[in-house]
Amino acid sequence: MERDQDEVAFPKELVSKLLHEHLKNEKMRVSADALLLLAELLKVFVREAAARTARQALVEDITVGDVEQVEKILPQLLLDF
Amino acid sequence: MAEDQEEQFSRSQRLKAAVHYIVGSLCQEVADDKEVHFSKQAIAAISEITFRQCESFAKDLEVFARHAKRTTINMDDVKLLARRSRSLYAHISKCSDEIAANSLEQKEKKKKKSGSGGNVSRNSDMDTVFPESKD
Repeated sequence: MERDQDEVAFPKELVSKLLHEHLKNEKMRVSADALLLLAELLKVFVREAAARTARQALVEDITVGDVEQVEKILPQLLLDF
Repeated sequence: MAEDQEEQFSRSQRLKAAVHYIVGSLCQEVADDKEVHFSKQAIAAISEITFRQCESFAKDLEVFARHAKRTTINMDDVKLLARRSRSLYAHISKCSDEIAANSLEQKEKKKKKSGSGGNVSRNSDMDTVFPESKD
């Protein structure tokens, strides 16, 4: 996709492998479009995790987001995805 | 049997490393944006969460596809993953429309090519089937 050219994104092959690693049914196939969309979803997930961690750090008036901040934002993050 | 387990272990280690790399770069983007740094442990935690989240995504996608009596996971299944947040659903729907339009365009191009250039079918199934071999 053109709009992702200069952006970091999950490669299709990696998404495919991640998915097949966890699929129970070996015969289940995944369409190429679905892989692209899932890559986008994963990207949003990671960026949300990072952005919420950063915001939590700013709220606590520190400039380094650490595991403690990740732990704080984790429950709501998992409820949103 | 033990070798099998070892192989499985090293494969998931490699996948985790790949996820970690991407998560690292994404976090760097956010860090530049928000002017907050992330500790190595925080990035490792986020990549571990992402890897586990993939497991739950995979399980959900599988049952969604099966519920629709399909054996192929498609974009509708992925859209359902984003059902919990309205703005996320809107974003994912928009992306799905873009992807659908894109692949339609490519199919049209391919049709034109094969119409004028005869039997050029070397890459014809490249975008529908993903081989498991490469790493």
